[in-house]
Amino acid sequence: MAASARTMSKRHRRGWAIVGEQELRDLWLGGRGLLLALAFSVLVSVIAYLTATNQALNFLEQRESVNLTLQVAIAMGSLLALLAAADAVSGERERSTLESLLLTPVSRLDLTGGKLVAALSLWLAAFVITIPYVWFLGRGIDLVADAVITGVVVGTLLAVFLASLGIVISIFANSNRVSLSVSLFLLLAIFAPTQLPSSAQKGWAGELLLRVNPLTAGEHYAGKILVNGHSWSEDISWLISPIVAAAVFSAIAAIVGARCIRLGRGATE
Amino acid sequence: MSMCRAFGATLAVPSVALVLAAAGAGATASEISVNVDRSQIRTQLGHTFVFRTTVANHASSTTGSLIAHLNVLSLREGVEVDPEDWSTHRTRYIGTIPAGGSRTITWKVHAINTGRIALYVAVLPQAGLTRPPTTGRTVQLVVAERNTLNSGGILPLVLGIPSLLGLIAGGLQLARRRR
Amino acid sequence: MTPAVEADGLGKQYGSRVALDSLTFSVAAGEVLGVLGPNGAGKTTAIRVLTTILPASRGRFSVAGVPHTRAADIRRLVGVLPESAGYPARQTGEEYLRYFARLFGYSRASARVLAEALLAQVGLSERRTSLIAGYSRGMRQRLGIARALVNDPQVVFLDEPTLGLDPAGQRQVLALVRRITAERGATVLLSTHLLAEVEQVCSRVLILNRGRLAAEGTVSEISRRAAAPRSARLRVSAENVDRARATLGGSAGIEHVEPGDGQVGSLIVMLDGPGSPTSMNDGLRALADADVPVLSFELEGARLSDAFLAMTEEA
Repeated sequence: MAASARTMSKRHRRGWAIVGEQELRDLWLGGRGLLLALAFSVLVSVIAYLTATNQALNFLEQRESVNLTLQVAIAMGSLLALLAAADAVSGERERSTLESLLLTPVSRLDLTGGKLVAALSLWLAAFVITIPYVWFLGRGIDLVADAVITGVVVGTLLAVFLASLGIVISIFANSNRVSLSVSLFLLLAIFAPTQLPSSAQKGWAGELLLRVNPLTAGEHYAGKILVNGHSWSEDISWLISPIVAAAVFSAIAAIVGARCIRLGRGATE
Repeated sequence: MSMCRAFGATLAVPSVALVLAAAGAGATASEISVNVDRSQIRTQLGHTFVFRTTVANHASSTTGSLIAHLNVLSLREGVEVDPEDWSTHRTRYIGTIPAGGSRTITWKVHAINTGRIALYVAVLPQAGLTRPPTTGRTVQLVVAERNTLNSGGILPLVLGIPSLLGLIAGGLQLARRRR
Repeated sequence: MTPAVEADGLGKQYGSRVALDSLTFSVAAGEVLGVLGPNGAGKTTAIRVLTTILPASRGRFSVAGVPHTRAADIRRLVGVLPESAGYPARQTGEEYLRYFARLFGYSRASARVLAEALLAQVGLSERRTSLIAGYSRGMRQRLGIARALVNDPQVVFLDEPTLGLDPAGQRQVLALVRRITAERGATVLLSTHLLAEVEQVCSRVLILNRGRLAAEGTVSEISRRAAAPRSARLRVSAENVDRARATLGGSAGIEHVEPGDGQVGSLIVMLDGPGSPTSMNDGLRALADADVPVLSFELEGARLSDAFLAMTEEA
């Protein structure tokens, strides 16, 4: 086909949208995304069932059950986004498909953006799956709207933070195994403060640790709204670290993605 | 006589000073009253209600800084109530109240437990803690049960969503294999 | 006319290891250039530098007249089949080509039409809706060539396109390569280990060794330059075979003479040491003096394979 017959579409300037669309197709129509969503729905179903069938549930425990279900959705949805992002570049490298992509006119930044979109779709799917459960558990106590809004805000911030982190790791890791291992290790390190005894979480040092950690800060903020009935603005300072983490790491992912995507150390002859 | 007068004068000075000092410290606890706008409240589990407390200064001088504190307890033995769950800001620093003046505090409360619950507000000075607090009348709260969760109804959801996703995933796998 | 590819002092270094050193060559438009070299010679590195995947450490180059400083523009004008390229197993061939067409700026509709046309050209129409996971190696290579043609490139780089293919697959791929130049007029740089491929398809050859240019020229130029003929085959009448053997055996520059296989009167003359095209002159003169008619004569020149081995082993 002669070059003159080529039709330049507007989307040529939005390479990230083309990459994102194909990544979404590969993830969801390829089956991997649906299997992950299925596994997630089983987990949430078990938690929701055990919670809902507890006959001794009092009002506060019902609020806590909504909070628990949402926290699980946020944690698992963010984890899925992280794992998808951790495979983004190192996976292409391992499957020897990266070189072909780098040979196209699409910029490395667009490539990174498209893969981030696909990774975040896993969080979105997890949240959408969670909504019916939250609706069921929360409708008797007028908590559904608060739970949905809190979930969208906190979960999206954490998913953006973790997915961006995953992509950065993926760009520098030479193999998928290294990328996934480092990502999971960092995730465990971020989750670790939640396991501290409550006495250690009190005091200025404990509170500082909880506030600085985006996961614990987001969890705290959501809990105050859903369990304690606080207003949106009352604990807004707890959202600072999730917002900063999402902004900083997405900027880092953009910079690193634009400059540092390489074939890898093995790309020599 | 002059010695007595001298002795009296000697006693009078510190007494006057004490009285003056007492006057300068503001109204006493008995000159502050705490009133609530409702003494009986009936509500349902999970609902939020509001009541107001008016702290009035009946003295002829301004009070010192005051603190109002809300307490919640169950009137039924064996039922533990955590006041933190009922109201977030239970301690209010209301400052000073001029002579003859008053302050109204609005308390927002969530009904967390069922049964008979008592609420009362205690007002105490921020300094001079030897004075006993002034409490208002107890608010008698009756929280009725409310069926907020039909636990059996979750089964369709718990089975339905994973089944639907499984069907979609299975359908896609079949379609791919046919290719 | 502007060369399709031009490199001047091109170098690539990884730390202290020199992968390419002072590579200078040019390729005319429409030419098929074979790039030969043993493992580690720098063939793939050279292709990756020229296609802007790797940055050059030194030197300059241009592709289709576009200087190396405009990497994105070069990528729009080249098509590349990388060595051991991977393919997404869960996409169909059609989906794969559509995706790349869209990455190169085609609209959805034109990408679909282009994908169908390319699949037809490479003989994959019937398998266009099959998952790539089910493709054989040969089919994947053809799909890779189709992908390299998505943007109607002016220069096509094929890195080991027949690697791992059976003879039938190799033939198919080489036929495609010929069609690329004949029908599209594209310039092709073909990196390969198979010297027979180069002899069949390429008009010119580059031989790389340890990152350096060892030889450059047409196949016959390199063969002649690198190694001299080492034997000759001639035919005399059956009754003159013994006389011819005795005459040639006494001539200078001839090591020994042995009967050739096949035709009666056929003789193979082994030359003494590295010969030249005139090495047989004394022998032929001796035969003429001895009145032995020569029915046919052929100087068996060194093949490209001999030239290749000579150039790469000696360095």
